[in-house]
Amino acid sequence: MTLIRSLLHSTLLTALATPALAALGGDVTTVPGEAARMKAAVHTAAAANYSVHEMTTPAGTVVREYAGPGGIVFAVSWNGPFNPNLEQLFGNYYQQYLAASAVYPSHNHRQQLINEPGLVVQRSGRMRAFSGRAWIPSMLPQNVSVADIK
Amino acid sequence: MRKLLILALTPLALLAACGGGGGGSINNTPPPPPTQQIATPGPPNVETLTVDGGPVQSLNTAFITLTVCVHNTTTCVQVDHVEVDTGSSGLRILNEVIPNLPLGILTTNGGMTIAECLPFADGVSFGPVAVADVSFHDSQKTLSAVNIQVIGAQGYTVPSTCLSEGPKVEDTVAAFGANGILGVGPFLQDCGTACENEVGNGITGAYYTCATPATCADASATLAQQVPNPVALFGSDNNGVIVELPAVGNGGTSGVTGALVFGIGTEGNNGLGSATVLFEDGSGFISANYKGTSFPQGYIDSGSNINFLDDSTLTVCQNDAQFFCPSSAQNLSATLMGVGGTTVTANFTVADANPFITPPLTLFAVPVLAGPSLDTSHRSFDLGLPYFYGRNVYQAIENQTTPAGAGPYFAF
Repeated sequence: MTLIRSLLHSTLLTALATPALAALGGDVTTVPGEAARMKAAVHTAAAANYSVHEMTTPAGTVVREYAGPGGIVFAVSWNGPFNPNLEQLFGNYYQQYLAASAVYPSHNHRQQLINEPGLVVQRSGRMRAFSGRAWIPSMLPQNVSVADIK
Repeated sequence: MRKLLILALTPLALLAACGGGGGGSINNTPPPPPTQQIATPGPPNVETLTVDGGPVQSLNTAFITLTVCVHNTTTCVQVDHVEVDTGSSGLRILNEVIPNLPLGILTTNGGMTIAECLPFADGVSFGPVAVADVSFHDSQKTLSAVNIQVIGAQGYTVPSTCLSEGPKVEDTVAAFGANGILGVGPFLQDCGTACENEVGNGITGAYYTCATPATCADASATLAQQVPNPVALFGSDNNGVIVELPAVGNGGTSGVTGALVFGIGTEGNNGLGSATVLFEDGSGFISANYKGTSFPQGYIDSGSNINFLDDSTLTVCQNDAQFFCPSSAQNLSATLMGVGGTTVTANFTVADANPFITPPLTLFAVPVLAGPSLDTSHRSFDLGLPYFYGRNVYQAIENQTTPAGAGPYFAF
């Protein structure tokens, strides 16, 4: 009994701890999983050439995932009083972001700009009001501009 | 370009002519307008405020000096170059500058230590909440047993939920850009009521409890356990601050000295006078109208070292896209509006950043620096320290009584 319980427990922990199905660059069908981890409600809106999956956490941070016609998330954005878990949101791109953050110049605490060939990250804000967005330039669908990522 | 370079040399020439001075900062500023009076540092409520580049050559960053002591002892360390930030709340010191100060750490009833992950837009700073006595250098104001954050304290491992908010960890002076930060913003605490039920609110990466420093876990924190705006804890002069920096010419200067004044309308030196009061909303924002666009999240922030503008007509610098490099100086203005409808025009100038951001850096007080706002939703309008030169900027704290009413508000 004890053994079964601890096995179950460790399986659950593994499932929760693994970033699993990535958000950015991943399939949009993972969104409910993201929502569960963020304890958020999901709303979906379809635009011309992409769909937006919006979640709001109880703490008031809005997270949006932008998926192209193939269902792949090409951009994410957020705004609210707290930063989201970027490791979950960036998925397989998190390590690239982590590495770039360490070497990109940072002039102040209020903004961050990462402009890699395969990943762009823009963040801004101050205590209790943060926003940001990230996208994979090569995955932007046709007729979708960066300005559409809000 | 040439003109700016010539201007840049002027302070050095002045310094030589004056025989070098006594180690104070160099100031070639035009005389302040007659309306600006900068308070004299000293008791009961005025600190010397310096813009001088600080430990890592930061542009437009204002610093004070204070002393941190082990509670109820004379075991103390004086810390210079603590950044004054009206955009955050709470005192935080880098462990690197107080490595041997045996501060007591705040604990829960169960004996676990309390730690905090402080999020910025460009990274996170992690460390325990210490209980310290703090004294301010010139005003001689003191605080007993105040919660402060010790960033980068030895043994405290950055938890994964903190790291994932960063991911850059700013736990050294080099990474943080100052020896500490004094948050004197609109809020009474850094997090506030949201963190009282952190887990229930789905918040991760804020407060933690730690069975050992290496095993901190997300946890709720009562308001009393959080890191407070230290100004609100003073026995008097506790309703806000005034940042008073002299005017600086468009060519910039190596540094300036002004004053950080505690209290609004509480002493002979901190009245509102003819300042316009712009009440902030519950999130600390006013609105701004700039070039016909309305920005609902406007603010004036000493912790922003440039003005951040949502303006696609300004040329972004080729060698650093975080700054504007217009070919000629642009005189711009915005209409700021407080809650309740009071408006005031804010004038500012944006010029080519290149001469100021190209190493070696020599000019640290530069009023013409601006860059593109990276706010994704086009709501933010942020007037940073460049806007503070030549005017006294008031920041009133939420729920604290002042002659103009309760904060939070900006006034200038």
